[in-house]
Amino acid sequence: MLLRMVGTDVRRNVTVTVTLVVLMMLSVMMASASAGLLARLAGAGDRLLTVADAPHVGQMHAGPLDEGELAAWAGQRPDVAHHQVQLLLGVDNAQLIFDGVPQTDSIQQNSFVVANTERDLFTDLAGHRVTDVESGTIWLPVIYRVENGLEPGATVTVTGPEGYRQHFVIAGFFRDAIMNTGIASSKRLAISAADLAELQAHTGTSEYLISFWLHDPAGGTAAFKKAYLDAGMPSIGPMLDSSAFRLFNMISEGLVAAVVILAAVLLMIVGLLCLRLSFLAAVHTDQREIGVLTAIGVPPGGIKRIYLTKYGVIGLCACVAGLVGGWALAPVMSRSLAVYLGDVEGPAPWLVPAVVAVAVFGVIVLFIFSLLRRFNTLSAVEALRAGSVGTRSAGPRLSLHRSVLPTTITMGLIDLVKRPVMYLLLLVVFAVSAFIVVVPTSAATTLGAPSFPTQMGVGEADLALNLQYVDDTTAAEFSAAVDGLAADPDVAEFVALTSTRHDLTTAEGERTSLFVANGDHLTLPVTYADGRAPVNDREIALSLLALADSGHRVGDTVTLDVAGRPRELLIVGSYQDITNGGKTARAMLPADSGDIMWYSFALTVRPGVDIDTKAAEYQQAWLSIRPWKMSDFTAQQLGPISRQINQAAALSALVAVALAVLMTAMFTRMLLAGDNTQIAIQRGIGVSDSDIRVQYLTRILVVLALGVPIGIGLALTLGQSMFNLMFEGMFGGIGYLFRGTSRIEFITSPALTALALPALLITAVALATVASFRTITRTGVASLVTE
Amino acid sequence: MTATTTRTLHPHATIGRPILSARGVTKSFGDTTVLHGVDLDVAEGEFVSVMGPSGSGKSTLLYAISGMDAPTTGTVDVAGTELTTLNRKELSRLRLTRMGFVFQQIHLLKNLSLLDNVVLPAHLAGSAPRAELNRRARELMERTGVGHLADHDITQASGGQLQRVGICRALINQPRILFGDEPTGALDSTAAGEIMDILTELNNDGTTVLLVTHDPAVAARTDRLVHLRDGLIEAELHLGRFTPGADPVAELRRRQLQVQDWLARRDL
Repeated sequence: MLLRMVGTDVRRNVTVTVTLVVLMMLSVMMASASAGLLARLAGAGDRLLTVADAPHVGQMHAGPLDEGELAAWAGQRPDVAHHQVQLLLGVDNAQLIFDGVPQTDSIQQNSFVVANTERDLFTDLAGHRVTDVESGTIWLPVIYRVENGLEPGATVTVTGPEGYRQHFVIAGFFRDAIMNTGIASSKRLAISAADLAELQAHTGTSEYLISFWLHDPAGGTAAFKKAYLDAGMPSIGPMLDSSAFRLFNMISEGLVAAVVILAAVLLMIVGLLCLRLSFLAAVHTDQREIGVLTAIGVPPGGIKRIYLTKYGVIGLCACVAGLVGGWALAPVMSRSLAVYLGDVEGPAPWLVPAVVAVAVFGVIVLFIFSLLRRFNTLSAVEALRAGSVGTRSAGPRLSLHRSVLPTTITMGLIDLVKRPVMYLLLLVVFAVSAFIVVVPTSAATTLGAPSFPTQMGVGEADLALNLQYVDDTTAAEFSAAVDGLAADPDVAEFVALTSTRHDLTTAEGERTSLFVANGDHLTLPVTYADGRAPVNDREIALSLLALADSGHRVGDTVTLDVAGRPRELLIVGSYQDITNGGKTARAMLPADSGDIMWYSFALTVRPGVDIDTKAAEYQQAWLSIRPWKMSDFTAQQLGPISRQINQAAALSALVAVALAVLMTAMFTRMLLAGDNTQIAIQRGIGVSDSDIRVQYLTRILVVLALGVPIGIGLALTLGQSMFNLMFEGMFGGIGYLFRGTSRIEFITSPALTALALPALLITAVALATVASFRTITRTGVASLVTE
Repeated sequence: MTATTTRTLHPHATIGRPILSARGVTKSFGDTTVLHGVDLDVAEGEFVSVMGPSGSGKSTLLYAISGMDAPTTGTVDVAGTELTTLNRKELSRLRLTRMGFVFQQIHLLKNLSLLDNVVLPAHLAGSAPRAELNRRARELMERTGVGHLADHDITQASGGQLQRVGICRALINQPRILFGDEPTGALDSTAAGEIMDILTELNNDGTTVLLVTHDPAVAARTDRLVHLRDGLIEAELHLGRFTPGADPVAELRRRQLQVQDWLARRDL
């Protein structure tokens, strides 16, 4: 009888059984494929860093360098195993032509280098070292093969002043362990030493990559970095360590894996929900047989075994098929990873998905056991009594006869109120769908908003001018520029800031180096996360990273060396900054109070003035000054992330809609299957199919109408926090995670967030519901026939 | 063979022109033909029962002539409307407004209270203001003895009580004809007797009733018994109107014996 019941049930509910298997199989497939991707990612990323012998700490320095002094300092540090200096000859992208295409719009900063031969190596796509580059040829990072479709044999041209042109033939592509993916916006291009010297004679800006290898990279990196800055070693440029290199390598693919895992978890939730629905429907149908079995003395365990067998077999089939699918899918998902990071060997990519599949099977079995608990307390009489299993009504009563709403809508609402738990899970699905649409789109609109740079440490201006301090003549140039801007009728407003370097004493009493921008901070101001701008020379505002490092809070006083003497300054505000390594301050100190590092201007032009013309004019007038348009800011500073986020926004909107549609379709089918008898009764008494459809649409759309605002609310709060966390990791490194060093507030478009995206979801879900309804086999009145 | 009895009409009831007229109705499921060209007329106000051995096609006939299922061939006219020309939506509307159904199983919607189960078809048909429909539902429930259960769940009533609610639901739109598929099949004899009392009373008030049944005691209450065998009407027994008289139990007993005797001869 047990077997007959299982067999009958499977035959009776082929659709439901197949749906269950497919849902769970998809979930296991995605989960195991993502696990496989992560296993490959971790393995390949580490392997690349190891094979390349990547530095533990890298310092970019855009200024004069005394290599002897650096070597002497490194030599007396017991924690330094090796150090190395590499010249990077940076060229403007407008000067760089790949296969006839100028790279003007590229967001990568390209520098020519001579490939290292001992450490920090480049490796070709077969994993061999690239140490010797022939004259006239060039090796490019693999990103240009992927993104620009370049192939060996193509030409790279560099142009310079006075018609200078130099051609290189692409000899091959390499993986650069520390500047590999698009997210690390600097790229090294390897040419021969002779070619580099020739190029340097005509064009380019020299920069240095100072690399260090430590004896104890795990424990000693932080102390080393501090010691380096304390010693006043060359540090005009960002400093990165191996955790950042690893993050750069992992983040883009890791995000993909995280999203897929999230989707897999959602699918599994819906799968289990459908399993529960199917279980309740089956128990409801079988209750007479169950009653008979209980009445003749079959223990609850015997009855449980029937269902455990049925759903266990379903779960096992799904997990085995899903695992096989996952093994097949993982290499496809990690195709881009394999190009950037190389293949990974060993059992992990096979073993980890298997472990995930087994774990998922365990979850399914546990879930079935929890469902079966109800049989422990079920008496034979209860089982024989109609509607006793899983059909007990709960919750407040909504009455049809008291309702003023249309009858079909009231019917839909009554079901929602009667079975809230079931719909709660659909609510979660819809909220998550809304969340994964809104977070990336909000991130994208934020990065694209004109006011966004004010959240990044730059005032809302049309044009910014930078003047690197070289010697006393620089100060004269600065004065000339200030006078020139003041006299320029095209300039609406401008602010001139002098950046000086000071030593700051942290709350722990340690001394750390800090760049302070001095001047008027009320004109073209930045957005302050807390507090306000400093207005006199006893006040200071710190960037969030600097504030985190100082151990102080807004309102505290901090000690800064000003003109050689410690001075107490009141911290009146904090702001987010990603310029100059993110650790900056704003104050109104006199220009001669510390080492002048650079000058900067921000200005707005009067309406009708062309910004490009103005930029060219200033470049012409003051040769040392580098003007850049603020509209390029996002592209320059956040280019790779911005582009990825735009792609992610589009992709996640698609994924979320697909998810919502899939879940709705599956859920509706299960719901319809479970409600078989109830639908047949309604049809029997003359309720039309369209009326029944309205009932189901009402249920789904009401849940959606509740879920979407929840998802949007979460996206604008939790999602914003997650976005800031990503920023903290990217710009501060892993050490700054969860320290509040990123406080970006989403700049959203209400029309997009509150109208367009919900409308997209609602349309998709409504169509999915109606479509699912159409596909259901006609639950005829025949099921009510007794003959 | 057909037995004919004298018709004795209830003083308040009239039997008039056919309200249901089926001609040459066949029904096949794949290669299996269940109905082989059934002709059946039911007059307005008539109380008809359909009997026959298991598998003879009783319920199939009921569903084919009530618009629940389309006949394979043949025509079915209900109150002047030819069912076979209607689409599904029109059929639903017809079932909702002009027909009532009582099933053997308690086919009530579990999410609704008993009163809501009764008012549902009325609200959907929208033939009167809702307050009026609600009042009508409560009256029907009072009349069938389940008025006190109006706000109860279906789990809070007995099988007999639920069947009464089912009858109230079938009657809420004041149908021209009431179909019953073994309406007492799942009830004990006392409850079954009470349900039949209600159906008899309804019929006496003018509602046409067509029942499928196994039970001679049920058939004994009807005016006419149609006997189906192998998908064809084999014979009919005209019992005449049941009038309780001075000793209703004895009268019913007599009619039941007549039915049993007739059926016994059919099975020979």
